[in-house]
Amino acid sequence: MTSPLPEAPQGPLPAIAISVEKLSAAYGGRTVLDEVTLQIPRGTSFALLGPNGAGKTTLLNILSTLRRPDGGSASVAGADVVRQQTLARRSLGVVFQDSSLDDRLSAWENLEFHGLVYGMAPKLRRERSAAVLALVELEDWRDDIVRSFSGGMRRRLEIARALLHEPQILFLDEPTVGLDAQTRLRIWRYLDEMRRERQLTVLTTTHYIEEVESADTVCIIDHGRIIAEGSPEVLKSRHGSRWLHVVPRDQAALDAIRAQRPDAQLLGQHGLALPADDGAMTDAFLTAFRDRLTEVRFQDPTLESVFLSLTGRQLRDRADGDRDAERAAGRRGGRR
Amino acid sequence: MKRRPHRWLQAAVNLAIVVVLLTALSFLPPDTSLKDRQAAGVLKLCVPPSYPPLVTGDPAQPGFDVELVGAVAEQLGLRLLVNTLPSIGSDFNPRNWSLTRGQCDVIAGGLADTVQTRSFLQTIPTSAETGWVGISPTGQLPAAGGTVAVLPGTSGLDRLALSGWLREQQLAVVPTRNAQQFTEALQSGRAQAGITESFVAGALNLGPDQRIFWLPDDRFPHYRMALGMWKGDQTLKTAIASALGELERSGAVDGIESRYYVKQYITLSP
Amino acid sequence: MNTFVMALRGLYGVWLREITRATRDRAQLIGGISRPLIWLLILGVGLNPYFRGEVYGEVRYVIPYTYLQFLFPAVIVLNIMYTSIQFAVSVIWDREFGFLREVLVSPMPRWLILLGKVLGGATVAMLHGGLVLILARFADVTLSLEQTAVALVLMFVLAFGLTSFGVILAARVRSFEGFGVFSNTVILPLYFTSSSVFPLDPALTRAQQAVTYPEWLVFLVQINPITYAVDALRGVLINFNQFPPLWGPLVIVAMAVVFFIIALIDFNRQ
Repeated sequence: MTSPLPEAPQGPLPAIAISVEKLSAAYGGRTVLDEVTLQIPRGTSFALLGPNGAGKTTLLNILSTLRRPDGGSASVAGADVVRQQTLARRSLGVVFQDSSLDDRLSAWENLEFHGLVYGMAPKLRRERSAAVLALVELEDWRDDIVRSFSGGMRRRLEIARALLHEPQILFLDEPTVGLDAQTRLRIWRYLDEMRRERQLTVLTTTHYIEEVESADTVCIIDHGRIIAEGSPEVLKSRHGSRWLHVVPRDQAALDAIRAQRPDAQLLGQHGLALPADDGAMTDAFLTAFRDRLTEVRFQDPTLESVFLSLTGRQLRDRADGDRDAERAAGRRGGRR
Repeated sequence: MKRRPHRWLQAAVNLAIVVVLLTALSFLPPDTSLKDRQAAGVLKLCVPPSYPPLVTGDPAQPGFDVELVGAVAEQLGLRLLVNTLPSIGSDFNPRNWSLTRGQCDVIAGGLADTVQTRSFLQTIPTSAETGWVGISPTGQLPAAGGTVAVLPGTSGLDRLALSGWLREQQLAVVPTRNAQQFTEALQSGRAQAGITESFVAGALNLGPDQRIFWLPDDRFPHYRMALGMWKGDQTLKTAIASALGELERSGAVDGIESRYYVKQYITLSP
Repeated sequence: MNTFVMALRGLYGVWLREITRATRDRAQLIGGISRPLIWLLILGVGLNPYFRGEVYGEVRYVIPYTYLQFLFPAVIVLNIMYTSIQFAVSVIWDREFGFLREVLVSPMPRWLILLGKVLGGATVAMLHGGLVLILARFADVTLSLEQTAVALVLMFVLAFGLTSFGVILAARVRSFEGFGVFSNTVILPLYFTSSSVFPLDPALTRAQQAVTYPEWLVFLVQINPITYAVDALRGVLINFNQFPPLWGPLVIVAMAVVFFIIALIDFNRQ
C-alpha cells in the first residue's frame, strides 16, 4: 500500500510526514472514519478524493488537532496530534474549506496576525508577508479590507497566509474553489517548488477531479473508508475504463444501437456512451454504424470514471454543486 | 500602488470625532441657575448676623465671606444682596433655619465643607479652616472624670463623633446653648475645659489665662470653610468657582484674607 | 525564553486584532458614547430639578453629591458593561465564521488565546468607559491625574471580568439575534439593581435600609456584584462609598478571576 519513499536527503526530520493508524471517528453514533490507515512521505503531494460527507474534513480536523479521534492514533511531522498538539500545530499550515480570514482587517493585517500568533520575529514576518503576498499577486490590495475581496482573492490570501510561517506540511481543504486557472497553476507551481526545495508535504482534500490529477498519490475515500490508493496513472489503469462517446444521426440509429448494445448509456438527449476497453468489439461497432453517426470520440479513463466504477456513484452530482453555491451565498449574506 | 496613509489613521479619526463630540457636549449648561441670576441681576447671599471673622455685621468691615462673595458678584456682573438671617445657627437642625432657594443663592458665614454639609448643599471651599478646639488654662483637656462645656456651633462639624469621643474619655459634658453660657461655664469653674469650633472660640471674650488648642487631628480633622450653593445649581456654582479662581490669580483674595487674618486666626488669639 | 517571547507575540497579536477591529468601526464607537449621553445629558439633567435642594436641610436624596455626580461613576460602569458583554458577539462571530479555527490550529495554547481576546475586549471596554470621563466637567466632577489613573485601573479589571462573563454567555448562546435580546435582559437589571440611580444611605444601619426600601430590593442590590463595582468607582471619582471601601476592588478582582476561570473551562471544552 505504501508508496516508495522518494530519495530525499535524510535530514533530522522524519521521512514520514503524516502517519495515520487505524483512525476512527463518529458523530452522534454515525461512523465518519472507520479505521483509516495512511502514510504520507515527506515532500509528496497527497490528495484525498471523495464526495461530500465522506470523512475528508473530519480527517483533516483530527490531523490539525481541532478534533480528537475516537480511536486509533495519528501524527504529523512526528508529533502525536493528541499528546503533542503544540508541536504538531507548529509544523502545519492549514487552508480551510470556508474562509477563516478576518474580513474587517486588511490583507496585510491578516498576515501580520498570523505571523504574530505563530511567534515570528518582526523582520521575518514582514519579509515573509511581502513574499507570500507577491506569490498570490495581492500586493496591490495589501492595505485593503478583506471584506471587499472577491472569493478568489480571499482564497489566495488564505493560501498565502498558510504558507507564511513556512510549514513542513500544508493542508488544503477544497483549495481551488473560486480560483481562476492561471492563479491555480501559479500556486501549484510554487507548491511543487517548495516540495522539491524544502520537502513541503501537501495534503489536499477535494471532490474536484482537476485538483488531484497532478498529485503524487490519490486516495479515494468514501463512507469513512479508503477504497483505493495510488498514483493517478495506477488508479486509472487499474480501475478506470475507456469509453466511446457517439452521437447517432437520427432517432432510428439511436434505437438500433441501443438494441444491439444494451450496455450503452444515454448521454444527454442524443449522445451515447459505450464501454470501449475491448478493442475488437469497438472496431466491429464502428464498422457497423460508421454511416449513421455524426460524432465519434474516445474518452480516456479519468479519475471520475475510476470513482464511478469503484463506488457505482458519480463523484459530484448536481445537488452538491447547488449546495456549495447556497452555502457560499448564505455566508456572504451573513457577513453584511 | 494604492496605500492607506496609516493603519491607525481610521481609528485615530474615529476616536478624535468621539472625543471632540464629547468635549463639545461637556460644555453644555446642565441647568438654568446662572442664566436666571443674570436675568435678575442680583446674587443673594445668606449669612448669620455674626460669625467673625467671616461675617462681622460691621458695614465697614463686613467680614471675609461677605467681601469674598461681593468680589465674586462683581466679577460676574451681579449686584450683591446680603440677607442677614438671625435664624442661621439658631438650631442644631439646619431645617429649622428655614433657608429657601427663593431667599438665598449662596449661603456663607459658618459652613464647614463636611459630608454633612455636602448632603444638602454643594460647596466651594475657601481658605478659612475650622475644626474642634479645646479651651482650658492648662492647654489640655482634664483627665477622666472631669467636666467639659461644649458649644457645638453651627458650621456642620460632626457632633456625634465628638460626643462619642468624650464618652470614651469619660468626660462629663456641660451642654451650652450660646457663647454667653459657654464662657460662664468656663469662668465659673463648672467646667474644667470647653470645646467648641475654632471660629467660635476665636470670637469669644475669654480671660487671658485660657489657652486654645486643636483637639487630636487624627480623630477630628480640620475642615475648610465653604460657600454653600443649592444642589442642582451647577452652572452658578461653576461660574462662582471660576470667578474665585480669577480673583485668586489677581491677588484680590489674598488682600481680603490678610485684612481679616483668616489663616492666622487661631494662632493670633490668646 | 524563546517560547516565552513567541507566546508574548501571539498574545499581542490576538489583543491587537481586537483593538484594531473595535477602533476601526465608527458605528461601534459612536454607539458606545450614546449611552452616557442619554444617561447624563437627558436623564441626569431632566431629573435634576427633582433632586435639587429647595430648603436647606430638607433634601430627600441625602448623598453628599449632586445627582449628576452620583450618576457619573455608574454611567461609566454601564458603558463598560455594555461594551464588555457585547464583546461576546465578537466571540460568536469568530466561531460562526471560522476565524476561530485559524487561531486554534496555531501553536498558541488555548488559555493564551482566550487571555489575549479577553485582554483586547477589556481594553476596548476600558476605552469606552474612559471616554465618559471627558464628560466629567459636565457632571461637575473634578478629577486629578491620580484619580483618573486609579479609576482606569479599576475600570480595566472590571472590564476584564465582564468580558470573561461575555465569553461565558457566548458559549451558551448560539445565535446573534438571541444574544441581542439576552444581553439586554442581563445588563439592564444588573445596572438598575446596582444602586446606580438611587443610593442606599450609608448613614443608615442595615435594618433601616430595609425600612427605606423593601427588603427584596435591598437584597437584590446587596447580592449584585455590580453594586460594589459602582461603589468602587464612586470611591475613586467622587470620594463616596456606601460600603466599606475595600469591598469594591475586592469584588472587582474576584469577578475577574472567577469569570476568567469559568470562561477558560468553557473555551477548552469547545
